[in-house]
Amino acid sequence: MSRKRRVGLTRLSVYVRDQRSRIALLSLAAAFTSAVQVGGWLLVGDAIDNGIRAHDTSRLDLDVGIYVGLNALAWVVGSFLIMGLAQLGQLIVLRLREHLFGHLTTLSLRYFSQQRAGWIISRITNDVDALSDVLSEGLSTLVGNVLTLTGAMIALAFLDWRLALATMVILPPTMIVARWFQVRSHSAFADVRTRISALTAQIAESLAGMAVIQSYNREGAFRTQFRELNQANQRSNQHAQNLSSIFFPAIELFGVIATVAVLALGSRLYEHGSLTLGTLIAFIGLLSLLFQPLQELSELYGQVQSAAAAMEKITTVLDVEADIASPPDARRIERVEGHVSLDHMTFAYGREPVLHDIDLDIPAGSCVALVGMSGGGKSTLARLVGRFYDPREGAVRVDGHDLREIDLVHYRRQLGVVLQDPFLFAGSIADNLRFAAPDASDERVEETARAIGLDRVALRFSEGLDHAVREGGSGLSAGERQLISIGRALLADPRILILDEATSNIDRPTEVLIERALDRLLHGRTSIVIAHRLATVRRADEIVVLERGRIVERGSESELMAAHGHFAALARELAAPSAAVVDS
Amino acid sequence: MAVTAPLGTVDPPDLDFGPTARHLTREWWVERRLVGIGLVCALATTALSISIPVLVQRVIDNSIVARDHSELALYIVLIAACALLRFATNSARRAITSRIGIVIENRLRATLYDAYLTYPRAFYDRHATGQVLSRATNDLYPIRYFIGWGVVQVVSSLMMIVGVAIVLLSVNARLMLYAGLTMPLIALLTWRFARLVTPLSRIVQQRKADLTEAADESVVGMEMVQAFGREAEVRERFRERAEGVRASQLREAGVEARYLPGLTFLPSMAIASVLFFGGRDVIDGNLTIGQFVLFNSLLLQLVWPLEALGWILNLAQRAIASASRAFAWLDAVRALPEPERPAQLPAGGLDVRFDDVCFAYAGGSPVLRDLDLEVAAGSIVAVCGETGAGKSTMLNLLSRFYDPDSGSVRVGGVEASALLKRDLRAAVALVTQRPVLFSLPLRDNLCAARPEATEDEMLAACEVAGVADFIDDLPDGYDTMIGERGVNLSGGQRQRVALARALISGARVLALDDPLSAVDTENEEHIVSRLRPALAGRTVLLSSQRLSTVSLADRAVVLEGGVIVEDAPPERLLRAGGAFERLFGDEVRVA
Repeated sequence: MSRKRRVGLTRLSVYVRDQRSRIALLSLAAAFTSAVQVGGWLLVGDAIDNGIRAHDTSRLDLDVGIYVGLNALAWVVGSFLIMGLAQLGQLIVLRLREHLFGHLTTLSLRYFSQQRAGWIISRITNDVDALSDVLSEGLSTLVGNVLTLTGAMIALAFLDWRLALATMVILPPTMIVARWFQVRSHSAFADVRTRISALTAQIAESLAGMAVIQSYNREGAFRTQFRELNQANQRSNQHAQNLSSIFFPAIELFGVIATVAVLALGSRLYEHGSLTLGTLIAFIGLLSLLFQPLQELSELYGQVQSAAAAMEKITTVLDVEADIASPPDARRIERVEGHVSLDHMTFAYGREPVLHDIDLDIPAGSCVALVGMSGGGKSTLARLVGRFYDPREGAVRVDGHDLREIDLVHYRRQLGVVLQDPFLFAGSIADNLRFAAPDASDERVEETARAIGLDRVALRFSEGLDHAVREGGSGLSAGERQLISIGRALLADPRILILDEATSNIDRPTEVLIERALDRLLHGRTSIVIAHRLATVRRADEIVVLERGRIVERGSESELMAAHGHFAALARELAAPSAAVVDS
Repeated sequence: MAVTAPLGTVDPPDLDFGPTARHLTREWWVERRLVGIGLVCALATTALSISIPVLVQRVIDNSIVARDHSELALYIVLIAACALLRFATNSARRAITSRIGIVIENRLRATLYDAYLTYPRAFYDRHATGQVLSRATNDLYPIRYFIGWGVVQVVSSLMMIVGVAIVLLSVNARLMLYAGLTMPLIALLTWRFARLVTPLSRIVQQRKADLTEAADESVVGMEMVQAFGREAEVRERFRERAEGVRASQLREAGVEARYLPGLTFLPSMAIASVLFFGGRDVIDGNLTIGQFVLFNSLLLQLVWPLEALGWILNLAQRAIASASRAFAWLDAVRALPEPERPAQLPAGGLDVRFDDVCFAYAGGSPVLRDLDLEVAAGSIVAVCGETGAGKSTMLNLLSRFYDPDSGSVRVGGVEASALLKRDLRAAVALVTQRPVLFSLPLRDNLCAARPEATEDEMLAACEVAGVADFIDDLPDGYDTMIGERGVNLSGGQRQRVALARALISGARVLALDDPLSAVDTENEEHIVSRLRPALAGRTVLLSSQRLSTVSLADRAVVLEGGVIVEDAPPERLLRAGGAFERLFGDEVRVA
């Protein structure tokens, strides 16, 4: 194993720093069970020489008694050991999972937009699982076999060094074959995993897209694609199995050859009287304790390799530093009033600024509408108010405090955000509404649902608001998902509300309902609205027109319409298709 | 009143033992040649495995103890030869049995997959994707191991047991009875262990899946989590799930802790009996020291075959359970029937007619009640109505994803069920609201329906559908890989690709189900304005919540309570004071 990898796995030791005494106890237990296995054969040897051959039945009985006693004890200790190692392994896995996940929640949107979600999820699931496999199923195999192998080797050398040397004859070929198997099977089983996951992904995708496949008569193409992957999977599996089919019988073969070598030399030594029969038989018995652990450890080798590689990848996530965090002495705004000011603020995702020198003051309790062509920086601006990014220059202030100086989580809890393509979590509709207000009463949830017309949607489902939302909201229309996310934001009772194209897929009657609810429920709260529908925009106290990252116009609707500038042009364009319908 | 589709055709009960066993035997019988060779190898391996300890016994008794080396070399050569031969037969046995399993697993998977491609939508409405997937993947493993490894291993276990029993009984029957007493317990213990641990390990898998789900959605929804400052709650939820995985794994470890050390203890009791009774026999001269060693080694060699019996008993139960589910589907689920004498679609534009169509989803209340609609060839009709009014259902009937419970759907004057499905679907392109793209290059996704489409046709469709607007943002343009391993397009981008895909298909009828709902309103306006000329000559049914999309249509119909309540050009409906105006009217007045 390379040094770099070892660094990866030793990192796990931080999770068991408080478990030293348990580890010591488990090591002792493991040493004992291995010692019993090795010692058993030594007792057999003694029973033969000093009991049977010496015609001493009391010595024989004593040996048998000790043998049975030790094995019975090993039974109990073995139980304790399996349980203890499982607890230890699971503790490490649990702590690692919590650490990794907790760390992810502190990373900023910048990280999540740069790193694909699938990649991150794979770290927290597949990679931790690879570690978990070694730590839960593999740990007792690993510890037990390493100790038994070591114990057996010591016992062999101790019993008779000449026979031990004879055994060495098969050591080089065994090592070569074991190494061959470790290397080859590691890549072979990795290949099996890749193949089966590719095949699974293909089937899953076919099932998800069955409507498209059937609708476009693509069955043949998909069948061909499947056949290829299925065949590749079969070949890969067969190859991996063939390696095992050679390796395990080969180790068996070496075991017999070692026995033969011991017998051949042993017979000479016995003849010369420098070896007892009991020693010879104990020696042959001990050989099995050499080869079986070797098989099991070789099998485990691939798993340990994968775990080390997994840990390395996990480390890359753990080492990412959170770029947006509250300072230690962060100020806590108990109740946000909602006075938002953007102070000569410039922002860039990469090198090119997306927002230039934005200077905007939103008084507490007012409503600002951001309009303009897409790509103008509206959503970015809204995100800066939630401090999902920090400005490059200037500052975002709420109630006069720079967002970088306040307790972020506490601030965001007083924020309500609704996006155009909202994300819903698994759980019922009611659970999703309660997302930001877990303690909300059933009455409040129902009241909120009614206020925005969600109760009507819920009628569609037999369980009403308890209808289970699956897989990010599939089964619900875009409009329904928006409705739920608006309800979620309302129930949070936010001091500042950000609506980013929040009602684009909601029919106008429902939108009117929502606006009334917003007016009532959010009286005196600050809101920032991004919308295209003029009816939505005109409700705002102030309309801000953004173009290529700059504020080009601002004012009330009537002021802007009278100015015949950007907004007036935009309004004409937005109204055009509907007007066409009316005029035709 | 609509007749609900019989559930038996999409959700049949699991098969009984008899038919399941017959299915499995048929699969197994296909591989009878391999099974035969495997059994021969197993027999040879067993015989050789017994011979080696017997030869070792001869070495000890005849050469070592007797201090007579005349035959030693012969024995050693014999043992080595046996070992070498066993290596060959055992390797072959392992390779062959695993091959049997793998081949049958993959054949069953292919059979299931082919069947999935023909199953009707009603089937997919009824079963969660994960379950359908699992039957073609994880559920097949017990079958693979049982039918491949298990069947041959049972035979070789039994051969080993009988062989060892014969040899040891002939050496010393009394000792065999004493020492062998605890051995059957190994099989029993293993079987009980397997029986207890299998459901527990399934729970572990389930808990892991729960955890993955929690991790998955938290990562994807991290913006929402952070936006509401709910990190602590989400962490707590994740911690609970992680704790659930730990608890389930510890339960599994608990069973292991109770049973596994026993499996080491039982053989050691056999050795103790040999020491105690056999030792006395040696002292009394009834047993040679070589035979004493033979007892030890043969009894230890029985441990694995006995454990294997316990495992296989459990494996057999699981394999039967998996197979009974998979074969139930293969036996009973049927595709919507093809006509015996298929009709042909006429050339040119196709009109669409719904005549007295009634439809209800399996087990649900009626969605469409005696619906009538005529769409002239080459015209565009918008189907409007509140969410859940049945708009998508109507469009799905057009592609014959379902058959109406009564009444008829006609395309080009021909009833949909009188056409071959592939002819019908080649003529009708359906664009769904949440479209699925495949993990293929964008180009292949676009041309999925018509791979022979020219580059110009593709580019023209992409221009209309607004794919061209974001193509420069993709790393490899039209060759960009889509999906998990490539670029994840946004909902709006996916919809635009799906729309272009439908345009490229060249289908004469388009069913567009809220095709631009996730496209931002501004881009939508542009697409709608370009779409109008691009749709010339095609018959189009489209549904939408946005007036801007609806304004594309020559005629709008409003669906309410499963029937059409309004039917006129949209501009007239806007001022008609009816359902349509309620849906869209406000949007115009403010402009």
